[in-house]
Amino acid sequence: MSEAVIRPAGDSALLVEFENEISLEVNSRVRALKYTLEQSPFDGMGDLIPTYRALLICYDPLKIRMKKVRDEVLSRLGHMDQVSMPPAIVTEIPVCYDKEYAVDLEHIAQLENKSEEEVIRIHSQSDYFVYMLGFAPGHPYTARFENPFSFKRMENPRLKIPSGSIVVQLALSDIIPFDQPCGWNIIGSTPVLACDYRKENPFLLKAGQWIHHTPVSREEYLDIKKQVEAGTYVCRTWEKED
Amino acid sequence: MAIVVLSPGILTSVQDGGRNGYQQFGVSPSGPMDAHAFRTANILVGNEPDEAGLEMTVMGAELKFTAPAVIALTGADMGAMLNGVKAGTYKALPVQAGDVLKLGFAMSGCRAYLAVSGGIDVKPVMGSRATMLGKNFGGLDGRKLQKDDVLEVRPAAGELQHLETYFTEPEQIPAGTRTLRVIMGPQEDRFTEDGIRTFLGSEYTVGQDFDRQGYRLEGAKIEHKTDSNIISDGVVTGSIQVPGTGLPIVMTAERATVGGYTKIATVITADLPLIGQCKAGDRVRFKEVTVEQAQDLLKEEADRLESLRKRVQDPAHLPEEGEEVPQASAPAAAAAPAAEAAHEFEYTKDVTICINGKAYEVTIQKWK
Repeated sequence: MSEAVIRPAGDSALLVEFENEISLEVNSRVRALKYTLEQSPFDGMGDLIPTYRALLICYDPLKIRMKKVRDEVLSRLGHMDQVSMPPAIVTEIPVCYDKEYAVDLEHIAQLENKSEEEVIRIHSQSDYFVYMLGFAPGHPYTARFENPFSFKRMENPRLKIPSGSIVVQLALSDIIPFDQPCGWNIIGSTPVLACDYRKENPFLLKAGQWIHHTPVSREEYLDIKKQVEAGTYVCRTWEKED
Repeated sequence: MAIVVLSPGILTSVQDGGRNGYQQFGVSPSGPMDAHAFRTANILVGNEPDEAGLEMTVMGAELKFTAPAVIALTGADMGAMLNGVKAGTYKALPVQAGDVLKLGFAMSGCRAYLAVSGGIDVKPVMGSRATMLGKNFGGLDGRKLQKDDVLEVRPAAGELQHLETYFTEPEQIPAGTRTLRVIMGPQEDRFTEDGIRTFLGSEYTVGQDFDRQGYRLEGAKIEHKTDSNIISDGVVTGSIQVPGTGLPIVMTAERATVGGYTKIATVITADLPLIGQCKAGDRVRFKEVTVEQAQDLLKEEADRLESLRKRVQDPAHLPEEGEEVPQASAPAAAAAPAAEAAHEFEYTKDVTICINGKAYEVTIQKWK
């Protein structure tokens, strides 16, 4: 395992970089460092922003200077092998693959030379890992570790796709929390909200967890949507098996 | 107590010190673009420095107060008039029920701040009242103010004992090229030596795309060693991204929390207000400092605000003989029409200005 590199990101943050690749193994070091810092925060610690291969550690320079933050980080890095992380969580995302919502399903099936049923089966059979959240509040960057599909983005991005859209390319599958422009194919739609400002913690997901897509019928979709609107729907979660 | 929006100006929003603790979920801090001016305004009305107030952009709002209060204006001078009489900045201004405050076009700088004793009362979202305009949440319904909006104001902690000591020297927003001090990195090693030289040795001009998310700069292209892509990592306020165009983008209050472009340097926190007061056409250059220097400068800034807070609370802190002192406003109904009519302008002209690609028609009036 190579050494982590610590660089200043301005006067109020340090960036800790691990190996320059996107992999579960490298990301597990990002998560372990974040976890140890959360378990025993140093005085003046601010936001921690985990990404694929790096952790950005914000701090208040009026409370703690850079050299001390660096020491705090180095001491955590020295004990990383002793960190025992809690089991990862899987959150169930109900997805309606009905034509009305899965506007690109037919196209995807053609691209992959498979039936629509087969495409749905592939998308919902194994879990996707949430590397990080960003772009919009609650927007997950997810991936899985075999290549379920071979197609990439569309040539012409759409100017606006609705919130709740499940969009895919290659090994990636994102949940769109708010209406936005998007160049990925829409494979389905979820009635649950990736970000709900009415809640004290508005976010459905957290970096370092997994999601599982479960197919639901149009009727189930509409029923769950009603519960979501009433604020009573809770997604099923379980512990990830190794 | 409430503030009624008679005219919203171009872009006026509720801001507080910002929203911290949610960046890992993709929520940027938001908050004021010129935190120094913003905090100064709050101190001048006896508030905590990060209390919710208003940020006005390029052209200010026209506001009516429904009950007595104390307000202060800082940042860009937008020629504020209270009931038609020049109001002044950087001092506590008592207002009465029915008073009308009208701001105009920024004579210098870009953003003005209004603080009101007690602070603006909107429902906090994730612990903050700051509006996140780009993502439509926080502040008043997640949007900029509109005509006829009513902003509730929370009761002040107590009445200010001696209003006349709540003032400070109005701060000039620098004209000409502004020097933004930066800490190099985190990806300066992705640029050639020539690229770094270009960045630190050139003057850049703020382009038409400048808003609360970021400032796109125009000027000499900065050379990458290979390309501008990185595996996305965390972004801070002040990060200077250089995408494939070679032209820098300074990330500001409503920036993304993560990004996939190389970041050549970061503007130091103490200098962020300088970029927040820039508008299209303004010029900047960059100067390298160390983290230690930047943190010393930030400490000096915090000490300055703390000593201002102590000074305004000191009954012995009084203006020099002949200086203007805060005075109760003239009765609104009687004063307003007469003063308005009596007012003479050196010139009045209608111009079109562009912010982030959108055109706005505004009237500029300059006093004699």
